[in-house]
Amino acid sequence: VTAALPLKGLRIANFGWVWAGPVAGQTLAFLGAEVFKVESRARIDINRTLPPFAEGVRDPDRSLQNHAGWAGNGSVSLNLKKPEAKQLALRLVAVCDAVIENFGPGAMDDLGLGYEALRGAREDIVMLSMPAAGLYGPMKDVRTYGMSLTSLTGLDSITGYLDGPPIPVENAFSDPYNGVLGAFALLTALMYRRRTGKGQHIDYSQQEAMMQLAAPAFMDFAMNKRAGAPVGNQHPLHAGAPHGVFPCVGDDRWISIAVLNDAEWAGLVSAMGAPGWAQASEYATHEGRLRNVDDLHERLAAWTATKDDYDLAQQLQAHGVAAAPVLNVSDLLNDPHYRARKTFIEVTHPLGFKETIYGAYVKMSDSTPDVQPGPTIGRDNDYVFKNLLGLTPEEYERLVADEVIY
Amino acid sequence: MSDGALAPLRIIELGQMVSAPYCAKLFSDYGAGVIKVEPPEGDVARQWGPFPNDEPHPEKGGLFLFLNTNKQGITLDLDDQGGRDLFCDLLRDADALIENQRPRQMREWGLDYASLRKINPNLVMISITPFGQTGPYSGWNGYDLNAFHLSGTGHRYCGRPGEAPLEHGTFSAEYFGAIAGAAWGLAAIYGRDVTGGGQEIDVSCAEAVAALFVGAQNIGGYAQDGTFNRRTGVGMPLGAPATILPCKDGHVWMLALEPAQWDGLARVMGSPDWMQLEMFQDMFVRAENAEAMYPLITQWTMEHTKAEIMERCQAEGCPTTAILSMDEAASHPHLREREYMRTVDHPLLGPVPNLGPPFRLPESPGGAERPAPALGQDNETIFGQLESKAARREGAAS
Repeated sequence: VTAALPLKGLRIANFGWVWAGPVAGQTLAFLGAEVFKVESRARIDINRTLPPFAEGVRDPDRSLQNHAGWAGNGSVSLNLKKPEAKQLALRLVAVCDAVIENFGPGAMDDLGLGYEALRGAREDIVMLSMPAAGLYGPMKDVRTYGMSLTSLTGLDSITGYLDGPPIPVENAFSDPYNGVLGAFALLTALMYRRRTGKGQHIDYSQQEAMMQLAAPAFMDFAMNKRAGAPVGNQHPLHAGAPHGVFPCVGDDRWISIAVLNDAEWAGLVSAMGAPGWAQASEYATHEGRLRNVDDLHERLAAWTATKDDYDLAQQLQAHGVAAAPVLNVSDLLNDPHYRARKTFIEVTHPLGFKETIYGAYVKMSDSTPDVQPGPTIGRDNDYVFKNLLGLTPEEYERLVADEVIY
Repeated sequence: MSDGALAPLRIIELGQMVSAPYCAKLFSDYGAGVIKVEPPEGDVARQWGPFPNDEPHPEKGGLFLFLNTNKQGITLDLDDQGGRDLFCDLLRDADALIENQRPRQMREWGLDYASLRKINPNLVMISITPFGQTGPYSGWNGYDLNAFHLSGTGHRYCGRPGEAPLEHGTFSAEYFGAIAGAAWGLAAIYGRDVTGGGQEIDVSCAEAVAALFVGAQNIGGYAQDGTFNRRTGVGMPLGAPATILPCKDGHVWMLALEPAQWDGLARVMGSPDWMQLEMFQDMFVRAENAEAMYPLITQWTMEHTKAEIMERCQAEGCPTTAILSMDEAASHPHLREREYMRTVDHPLLGPVPNLGPPFRLPESPGGAERPAPALGQDNETIFGQLESKAARREGAAS
């Protein structure tokens, strides 16, 4: 069955930069919205400058990760330092349903594109602002990087080896997370607008959105005044054992195994060939396994260490045990499950090279996104300025020559 | 409760633990009517706490109380035909079903999407599972840990070389699946007139993280060049300082990459001579010499508290932050002023702390107002409504 995409007919101006804002636009675009990222050669987005580049040629239109993270977004180029560019941006907003941005609080106002200005262009506009710590409050101007934002939520304090120091998450997990949840936020406001005719300005604090992930530790603090500590790969609520990542044969190969009830434990014991140690009374009960978790993990690790991770996962699954290989980057591309689901797709870029990006990361039964790589700078200028906004060819050429459209 | 953005929606949740329940909470906390359907023994999250004073009680599990606010709760035995009939009755005028059962289980019950769309062609079915509805692992048993590590996140980005890749101390993959299901599911609801009815939304928690996080920044390079990177345990290996360092009362996320940030850090540290050395003049050479540099910065951080370090760095344009422990985050003045810390009155526990909504809608505020349901608390009301509806249907038919 092929149905239309559900957000067909929606149009969005995306002032988002780097990663989170573009992913919000991407999600809506995969679902059918027409999304135009507003950017400029006057200040090239850092996300376009990150290697590796297609065929090794360093160019802001050839960053491979940019093409994945920004896929779905279109691009119009406007040098917003120029007053005429600001006017064009507002004319674009006037024909859009929503605006996305992830600058610091006040940056859009400084550009003359704050919520009131946008409302002047379109009364019922929905504006999604997603700064690090929200639009107001004593820490609203905090400077963070995506990978360190979670330091302000308690999450980083519980990430690490059991009872050890915090270990960094070495990239901005929060960026794509907030991009996707930002898309949901925008849709809630569009649902409200459909019913009431009213737009609104969404205050999306990335800190507050990410702190929800710390709920298990937060509730323990709230109820028992424990400050929280890293748990390694053990269950965050100590709900069962074994629960961890165990070594396998080969270079940096591992398997994840999680046993949360007696039936799964029986399956694991049987898969191991019912060795004597596993039948000892201290492991017979859920409580016993939790109490003796260190010994249990050590014995299990000795058993997994001689096995192939993929084979062992299949074998354990045949016994009903929740187990899966721990994948590295190359496995992601080659794994049969991701291949079957077309998680990663090869596409041909308009500049002529082939590249691999991720496809629709959620599957719909009736509608199928057409995923193309992220845009070259200004890809949609012609369509947007001439067709949507009705500039004459002469006006358009002059604005290009004056580096307004730039 | 106030007129939430999603007020007209009617959602049925068949969820356990985090993924489907958090997805449904995103609907219920923004005003949708959500009925949570539990098996007679309850959502397994009820067993796992954290509990006040560590005393297990099915109505006092902290994570359950967080994840299930603003929902009604009923119990149904879906192994029983009568239970399944009632479940289908509930779905007749629902906008969405949010569930995280194993795919095979839903098929065995006859509650897979192909069957349910016959009952209600407008239904959006949001299925959020570790591996998804299709593909060779779709029949696997799995939990958050398995899905998370199948995404490559730990291997690539968390842990020390030679030691085990790490989850983040919570249910990261389940949360990620929850928000992906919420965004795509709400879009499917929003666009029913465009698409011609409901549809199935198939979320694999592992796939969502593998694509959006690890895949995004690694797969293009690997496909082209055949090389890939792994966790380093450091933070950012190619630029420095970008790592977690100990300080007097805990840890800080030390970041000073751009020249202005490095200069700011120098002012905060009193411009020690070593910072002028050639080997520390840009973020790349600093990374090459990180082993020499980090101990020098640490000498200074160990003399100061995380709050001091963060305040002074931020004032000088350096993006270093304190690593807040859970108690510090929970009492942070910024979050207090924004009223992010909430309480919800619970019949057994009195006021229970909770977190505010993940984003603020000024025209239609979201947030937890009613406590998570006691097991089966709304059975009488909901089943009563179903009976009277059935009676009306029969009346109309006769």
